[in-house]
Amino acid sequence: MGEIFVLAEHRQGELRDITFEMLGKGQELAAAMDAPLAAVLLGHGVEDFATELTKHANQVLSIEDERLEHFNSAAYQQVLAHLIAERQPCLVLMGQSAYGMDLAPSLATQLDLPLATDCVGLEFEDGQLFAVREMYGGKVSARIAFRQADTYMATVRQAAFPFEEGEPLGGEVIAVDSPLTEEIKYRKFLEYVEAAVGDVDITQAEVVVAVGRGIKEGDNLPLVEKLAEALGGALAGSRPVIDAGWLPPDRQVGQSGKTVKPKLYLAIGISGASQHVVGMKAASTIVAINKDPDAPIFKVAHYGIVDDLFKVVPALTEQLGG
Amino acid sequence: MLRTRKFVEQYDLLGCIQCGRCTAGCPLSLTSPLNIRSIIYQALVRDKLDVKQMPEIWDCTTCSTCTLRCPKGLDPAMILVGMRRVMTEGGRVKPTVRDALESTFKFGNPWNRGKAKRADWAQDLNLKNLAEGAEAEILYFVGCTPSYDDRVQAVTRAMVKAFEKAGVDFGILGNEEICCGSEMRRLGEEGLFEFLVEENLELFKRYDIKRMVTTSPHCYNTFKNEYEGLDFEVQHYTQFVADLIERGELAFSGEVPPTMKVVTYQDPCFLGKQNGVYDEPRAILQSIPGLKFVDFDRSRERSLCCEGGGGRMWVEASSTSGERLAETRVKDALALGAEVIATACPFCMLTLEDAVKTTGAEGAIEILDIMELVAQAM
Amino acid sequence: MDIVVCVKHVPDTTEAEIAIRDDERGIKQAGLVFDISEADNYAIEEALLLKEEFGGSITVLTVGPEEADETLRMCLAKGVEQAARLTDERFEGSDSFATARVLAEAIKDMDYDLVLTGVQADDDGSAQVGVTLAEMLGIPHAALVVSTEAEEDEDRMTVHRELEGGLHEVLEIELPALLTIQTGINEPRYASIFGIRKAMKKQIEILDLDDLELAEEAVGEAGSKTSLVKLFIPVVTAQATILEGSPEEVSSELATILKNEGVV
Repeated sequence: MGEIFVLAEHRQGELRDITFEMLGKGQELAAAMDAPLAAVLLGHGVEDFATELTKHANQVLSIEDERLEHFNSAAYQQVLAHLIAERQPCLVLMGQSAYGMDLAPSLATQLDLPLATDCVGLEFEDGQLFAVREMYGGKVSARIAFRQADTYMATVRQAAFPFEEGEPLGGEVIAVDSPLTEEIKYRKFLEYVEAAVGDVDITQAEVVVAVGRGIKEGDNLPLVEKLAEALGGALAGSRPVIDAGWLPPDRQVGQSGKTVKPKLYLAIGISGASQHVVGMKAASTIVAINKDPDAPIFKVAHYGIVDDLFKVVPALTEQLGG
Repeated sequence: MLRTRKFVEQYDLLGCIQCGRCTAGCPLSLTSPLNIRSIIYQALVRDKLDVKQMPEIWDCTTCSTCTLRCPKGLDPAMILVGMRRVMTEGGRVKPTVRDALESTFKFGNPWNRGKAKRADWAQDLNLKNLAEGAEAEILYFVGCTPSYDDRVQAVTRAMVKAFEKAGVDFGILGNEEICCGSEMRRLGEEGLFEFLVEENLELFKRYDIKRMVTTSPHCYNTFKNEYEGLDFEVQHYTQFVADLIERGELAFSGEVPPTMKVVTYQDPCFLGKQNGVYDEPRAILQSIPGLKFVDFDRSRERSLCCEGGGGRMWVEASSTSGERLAETRVKDALALGAEVIATACPFCMLTLEDAVKTTGAEGAIEILDIMELVAQAM
Repeated sequence: MDIVVCVKHVPDTTEAEIAIRDDERGIKQAGLVFDISEADNYAIEEALLLKEEFGGSITVLTVGPEEADETLRMCLAKGVEQAARLTDERFEGSDSFATARVLAEAIKDMDYDLVLTGVQADDDGSAQVGVTLAEMLGIPHAALVVSTEAEEDEDRMTVHRELEGGLHEVLEIELPALLTIQTGINEPRYASIFGIRKAMKKQIEILDLDDLELAEEAVGEAGSKTSLVKLFIPVVTAQATILEGSPEEVSSELATILKNEGVV
């Protein structure tokens, strides 16, 4: 049985969490399929990552190339196409991340592999792969069947599969020669640009009070600011609030914003779309206030209040002595 | 870019004698660079006006004080709306306006709320739904804000309570009710307004509506004066309820409710100035036992606009200097010794409620709709 | 700069109750309001802004039923020059791959500098069609674009991709290229009813499978590499403890809970 590949994701000197989440799920799938689990690592000067990954996979296929120093889907695609053709894995896993979204569909098309994205469930049944994904803003789930193939590809939703450190697998590092020959001219990495840094780092706050579309307009923020003050917390927002310009980008919680792990996370008027939830689901206590009883946020929250935030927030502020 | 020649013809601007009574009466001139006389002058002397460079035209609330005062019978408020049309029809509006307009087209209300939630306020009230086969003499046209806004829903429920007590045979359209379009027209979206007129006339015909009472003066004004082809009686609830009281069909318990206080009244521009309805709301208030009524100095035709009309619920003022008109109103009320400002319009209610908070007058003065006072006294 | 934009006409599911059809292969559409997928709207605006700067012409395409004309007319009203709808019963059951096939066939012989799509559609959220399409057209691509910069007569663009944590990846891409556009990149303009009515005069080209010279096996279920087994309402395993009562009551209860948990 061919290997299960997990594409390791790293950026600015760190392996990203999704890598470990995929390796955790990968181990489960590998055991079910009696297949070896291989972490695939592309980069430049990433020996430390390779060593780290040996704990979580049977093999670490490491491709070292200056041209792979920064992620470039064009370069990654060339390398992986070569690697997959050579080693014929039964499954290739990537994160549904800024990297995976830029790479998986074109790679799958080039190699004619069936692909399902943003999977929150994956299992083999008699050698055929099935996935579960969400649709319609998380209100509906779909069971997807992959056409029978020798190699499947799937991207995995970030923070969907929990990772628990287990016994180290003691995998071996296999250095694979980079197949890249020339400079890729049609797509060139230039630089990273950091998000503007404001006065408050919400990732360091013990209490985060986040607002969503339910706040209706920027003018209503003071209502929630008072609550944040009463709790000694930092004010944050979901994507629509930042898109509308009511809060600056460094206050955004979510996939394209910050990930926070405070003691208390208050989600106010936030529906709980997965891209937001991924940024806060690790908070110790999550309280959600939303009028809509079906809002997906209530699946993630520990406590919920189904009522109008404009009534509850002032009442809560008062209770807390604000 | 507005080409003025046709515009001048269309709005009869040559009739303007530049007397300035319009600007002199304009409540926005206190806080905004809006100068309607000057704008008409520009339209008269220039070939083209770059409306994009005139953000102040969005400050107008279409209160129509100018129209009331014009000695030549012009309608300066609608002239400004005509200028807004140039921008709106070209798709160039602020995002908040865009969202309100798109929402009205898609969901039948400007608040981005689902159609299926419009009648949620009536969930446990067992009301007749005229769109589901029930029949009644009167259609109670609730309106978008009274349907969806949590604060204003209290008014809607008080209304229904009073109607039931008085034995009124009424029904609602439930989730099929859609926006009257008043504010959409005033935001310059004439096409959307026309679309809503068609849809509403079709709806009223389908359910054989013969008489209507509205919560909002905006709905009242537009149905009564701007809907060509609407052939049944439309009243604002103050006219209807004043009549009920006069005929003895709505009686009060006679006991003075413990909350009855000194009450003043905010004449809504769309009810008072634009339709001459001043006496009926006062008649209702003055018939409530224990209520001590006191009029604003600036009352009736001189009532100070709350800044909620003309699409202003979705438009930020072009300048942030000066007090909002609703804040001035709250201060006026406090100076009068009033403990309550009674309203008869959902926009007045919301803007005054906000002003109570921003002037720090919470606890000193309350904003209550006439129907909330009526319900308390029943 | 000639631009092709691919858009999708989708149901707006905010505040709507979603019910699954009896055959479990779709949702009930009654009462749902349809509109252009949010990210696609931003893509249209980005195309319009680029056209305003550099001139050129914009074509909008969609794979969808007749009702999708509503979305196409809205795009025409905003200033797009041409619109085409790819409609055929035989497209039923197409996954993202087969859908991209159909689009690729329609686009491959066109003259363009840029193809834009939204990052993902509001209904399925797959985020596959754009990048798949780029590969099929043989052009470079960049996904999750939050800013574009082009120069007159240059054959390349600088774009920012949005990475996690608010970081941007800045890259240079050769044209013609495909970009998937992320929400928030610009402020979409409004399409007035009059504007849409005026746009009714413009013809929407309608193409079916035969017009595209694609084999039946290349589309629909036959041309797909994944298939939908069934839709279901997700079983909620962890659920919040819902506090009940008036705002004052729930606030009081919550304050107590938070104090007991030591978070306050």
